Amino acid sequence: MSFLIAESLDDALAAIAAGARPIAGGTDLVVGARHGKEALPDELVAIDRIDQLAEIGPGPGGIRIGALVTHATLMTDPLVVAEFTALADAAALVGSPSTRHVGTLGGNVMNASPAMDTGAPLMVLGAVADLQSVGGSRSVPLDELWTGPGTTSAQADELLIGVTLSSAPQRSGSAYVRLEYRRAMEIAVVGAAAAVTLGDDGTIAAAEVALSAVAPTVLLVEGVGDALVGRDPESAASAAAGLAGEQASPISDLRASDSYRRHCVGVMAKRAVVAAARRAAGEDIAVPVNRSIGIGAA
Amino acid sequence: MAITESPRFVRADGPDKVTGSGRYTADMNLTGQLVAKFRYADVASARITRLDVSAAKAMPGVFAVITDEDVPDVHYGSPVPDRTLFARDAVRYEGEVVAAVAAVDAATAQSAVDAIVVEYEALPIVADLEASMAEGSPLVHERWETYDVGDGTEQRPNVASFSSIEKGDVQAGLDQADHVVTSRYEADGTHAIPIEPRAVIAQWEGDKVTIWTSSQVPFDARNGVCETLQLSANRVRVIVPHLGGGFGGKCGFHFEAHVAALARATRRPVKLVFSRREEFLAPDRRRESMIIDITTGVRNDGTITARTGWVAVENGAYTADSAFFPQLSAMHVAGPYAIANVFIESSLVYTNHQPSGSVRAPTAPQACWASESHNDEVARAIGMDPVEFRRRNLVDEGIEGPSGQVYGDIGVRRCLEAAVEAAGYGDDLPADEAIGVAVGWWPSFPGPSGAYIKLDGDGSGQIITGAQECGTGSVMTLRQLAADELGMDAEDFQLVYQDTSAAPYDTGATGSQTLLNNGRAVVESAKEIAEQLRELAADQLEAAAADIVLAGGNAHVAGSPDKSVSIPELAGIAAGGELLIGKGSGTPPEYPSASATCVGDQGMAGWAGPQFSCHAIRIRLDRETGVVRVLDVFAAHDSGTIINPVGARGQVEGGIMMGIGQALTEGTRYGDDGRQQNPALLEYKLQTAADVPTIHTTFIEVPDPNAGPRGAKGVAEAPNVPTAAAIANAITKLIGRPVRQLPMTAERVWTTSNTGSEQGGES
Amino acid sequence: MSESFDLEVNGVAYPVSVDQSRNLLSVIREEIGLTGTKEGCDDCECGACMVLLDGQPVNSCSYLAVQAQGRSITTVEGVMQGDEMHVLQRKLLEEGGVQCGFCTPGMIMSAHALLDRTANPTPEDVRIGLSGNLCRCTGYAKILAAVEHAAAELG
Repeated sequence: MSFLIAESLDDALAAIAAGARPIAGGTDLVVGARHGKEALPDELVAIDRIDQLAEIGPGPGGIRIGALVTHATLMTDPLVVAEFTALADAAALVGSPSTRHVGTLGGNVMNASPAMDTGAPLMVLGAVADLQSVGGSRSVPLDELWTGPGTTSAQADELLIGVTLSSAPQRSGSAYVRLEYRRAMEIAVVGAAAAVTLGDDGTIAAAEVALSAVAPTVLLVEGVGDALVGRDPESAASAAAGLAGEQASPISDLRASDSYRRHCVGVMAKRAVVAAARRAAGEDIAVPVNRSIGIGAA
Repeated sequence: MAITESPRFVRADGPDKVTGSGRYTADMNLTGQLVAKFRYADVASARITRLDVSAAKAMPGVFAVITDEDVPDVHYGSPVPDRTLFARDAVRYEGEVVAAVAAVDAATAQSAVDAIVVEYEALPIVADLEASMAEGSPLVHERWETYDVGDGTEQRPNVASFSSIEKGDVQAGLDQADHVVTSRYEADGTHAIPIEPRAVIAQWEGDKVTIWTSSQVPFDARNGVCETLQLSANRVRVIVPHLGGGFGGKCGFHFEAHVAALARATRRPVKLVFSRREEFLAPDRRRESMIIDITTGVRNDGTITARTGWVAVENGAYTADSAFFPQLSAMHVAGPYAIANVFIESSLVYTNHQPSGSVRAPTAPQACWASESHNDEVARAIGMDPVEFRRRNLVDEGIEGPSGQVYGDIGVRRCLEAAVEAAGYGDDLPADEAIGVAVGWWPSFPGPSGAYIKLDGDGSGQIITGAQECGTGSVMTLRQLAADELGMDAEDFQLVYQDTSAAPYDTGATGSQTLLNNGRAVVESAKEIAEQLRELAADQLEAAAADIVLAGGNAHVAGSPDKSVSIPELAGIAAGGELLIGKGSGTPPEYPSASATCVGDQGMAGWAGPQFSCHAIRIRLDRETGVVRVLDVFAAHDSGTIINPVGARGQVEGGIMMGIGQALTEGTRYGDDGRQQNPALLEYKLQTAADVPTIHTTFIEVPDPNAGPRGAKGVAEAPNVPTAAAIANAITKLIGRPVRQLPMTAERVWTTSNTGSEQGGES
Repeated sequence: MSESFDLEVNGVAYPVSVDQSRNLLSVIREEIGLTGTKEGCDDCECGACMVLLDGQPVNSCSYLAVQAQGRSITTVEGVMQGDEMHVLQRKLLEEGGVQCGFCTPGMIMSAHALLDRTANPTPEDVRIGLSGNLCRCTGYAKILAAVEHAAAELG
């Protein structure tokens, strides 16, 4: 095994072009190797010291969140909390304080687990993945990046350097809600993110809903805009629940049966729309929604 | 190191543990040490058709590969000698040890394990508790009829032990009833989950072996090594370094003999450290799954006229210490109620799953969950408040309980009243909240136990005890008992414990019995030294020994506190002559009699020092998802006199959190292949710090003259008993019908609530 | 392949030469010889292996040792202030927050990180801050109380 600590993005891209796997916090790789899921790659390049990948700020086409931004930063960064609140909700629910400090957005996105908490928020916020290689760079919408559980359309020599999101118009809000059996150390059984813009009359002017852990990839619910626009938030939330339940194709496993998942993802979608609409209307619901309102409230 | 002592009771081992300097077994290493790894069956039920270790043995760095052929031909297990150290001919659960490797490092050992060739012919997997008891069922042990069970009961297919409690005439009782309520409940198996995975190190010197092991019961572990490797007790020394929790999971004799056999074969020290996955799969101590059928006849005034019960307790593939579980579970199905007519039968049933064993109050949380849920069903059937229903039936002083035992002064009714009053039972609650109430009980376990105490020349003391500290602090509390006898401070004593060659016998950290039994031994030891000190002081002070009082670190003449000599001074005198050494053991309290007829009596019908408890628990339910959150637990416990209140509260709080896990999130899932599907902490969900409710604990201190020092009973297991039951009764209030399967997961609650399907059986 | 580098633990730079696949926990325990940090699971689920890496809590079981070079590691052995116990250690003992002690080092490290980043934590902050550390003995109540009291003493 070879191990290189990259001092710069160029170093990292060169190593990746030569066949090394990038590693940031490394949690998933190390745990996976220990469980015999996949041996540690022969060549690793540590990218965790490339400071420019840990930044949040204006970039080409919107706000760039660097691949190395940790969940701990996402859940507290004022810009993320204000503009991309669903992403902060999700980051605050990931694992434990330590996994939130070590785990990065980039690692999450490239792991491409359909159960990842940050995936549905990124989807509803219209994030695109910024990939770079020694040969150049390109931006890919997330629904094109994620091709299946654990697989992406990125080339082997491409490094995710960040995601880019656009600020939403006035009177917009977003939220991520997930089903959890205990208040910490959970993995999404199902989850839902919603991004909502309200019209002047308080009805829905625009909306997106995406779901975790009910399909091979994070699922952007189709037809949400048409179905929700013009409705008041409560009836919009019910409509979103219906669509979510219809479009979900969950599996049965240890964590839940398919029918329970299908039911619960609707509940989560409903709650996400309600919370997003309340935020859009100016209400301050602390991050994460799961621990601010409802059964998980402190 | 200057340790700032606090005015409160601080554990003697506390500084070791908060500084990281305390050594647990896995923290130790010996020169020349090899690493042990096991080859497990990895299938639930099969005949071994080929076992070839030659390739593994030939690997560089591999010092030994041993199997059944390399150890003495011993079937062990009490009372059912149904197992061998290594699989012989067949494997009966996935975690059964087929072979053991000792190699120069972990990677080499693992490679060797992988290189062992085992071929199997599949055998039927016995997993269903009811089906496996039927005539014609495949047998987990083919030659079961040849095993000597020795309890005089009729041998039935796959039934490892059986017991009944029979009293009065149940048919007549049912005939007198206004209502008869029948329920079925099913509980999944669970795990102890000490945070320390177990470790064992063995080293031979000449013909003697020293074993460092993370055992709760070092003498039991020693005896297991002696039995299986055919060694006398004085050639096997078991030492337990700091122990990272047990909860029963580290009771019994586990892998000490395997590691000792490897060390003997290699002439090297050998160390075994379990991974969390192994900790889930291999030990023969997990909490048993159960099926419980209960029928109760009740009159409209709330009087229980009769109760019948049928219980199947899962034994798993081998009989660990589970043989008494049938009668114990039957007692919990009956509960602490004055029932005239009782017929409860309970069977311990073999399956091709991991063996069951004494995990914190074995059978009780499940059986209490079933019987206390059932009691709420009975109360509903007659339209009576469930707390009032309990008031009308609970046992009390002078009243005969379900097994015919007549109780002395006990605090069960005071527990009920204290808990419901603290909880504000009956007050209005939000629509998504409810309070459930359950009453539990648990025996104390008198037994033999011993300790020595010595005072050295400077007056500082050592307690050398056979008792095992597993974290509860019960051994730590022994210092207080010795100090009080000798007029000294607890801090004047250090403890030497968990070394089978240094200290006399004790049962170990099992059955909540340390303070009960070893407390007696320590008090007796201290009395001997007190006698010596009084004699010495009498000489110094020119008074009669009988007039000497030991207090405040001094010996003084009664009535003349100024006429005194310090204990260190007396110890200094003794150091030049007859040394200050005390020994103690004493006679254990007697087990009370019980008048019920018990076929296959397992000694569990008459309880010494019975402990009582009531939990009133407020929950909130997320109706749309079935997720339950526990908000407040109001616990009242009669564990007799409480000697160490901080420690006792810690036991209650820990037991309750374990109970909440068992109620809501913890449960082993098995696949059709008979293998565990969730042997990892991500999918087997313990409660976290974020889930903690507010826990309000009240001790109803009723000293029990037939128990431990000052009337103390046990306290470690009892708090685990009624928690799940109280949560269940709260859930039922919110959704209108009981969830009949434990754990009451969110999905099970939601399903029960929304489809009317009462998983687990008909009401 | 083995790599040689300095690992800074509790202010001391230890030269180590370890295989690149080794996790930080095993190097701290086996190469450096500090066994206060425990292994309770092998997948970031129990928190017994918690150390601070540049002041932040990290599950050392799932972090490559080579990635820690150039960074500063604190283990439970580095928490004492000279001969004096850290207030967290003292409060854990006083409140009865220690039973078997196996989760204690990890708890102390998580609590340390929490108090470093949150001056006056709410009870909920403490619960969430310790939520990655499983304890089977105490039911957490006395640990939470100890950390709250420690925070109050630190002001």
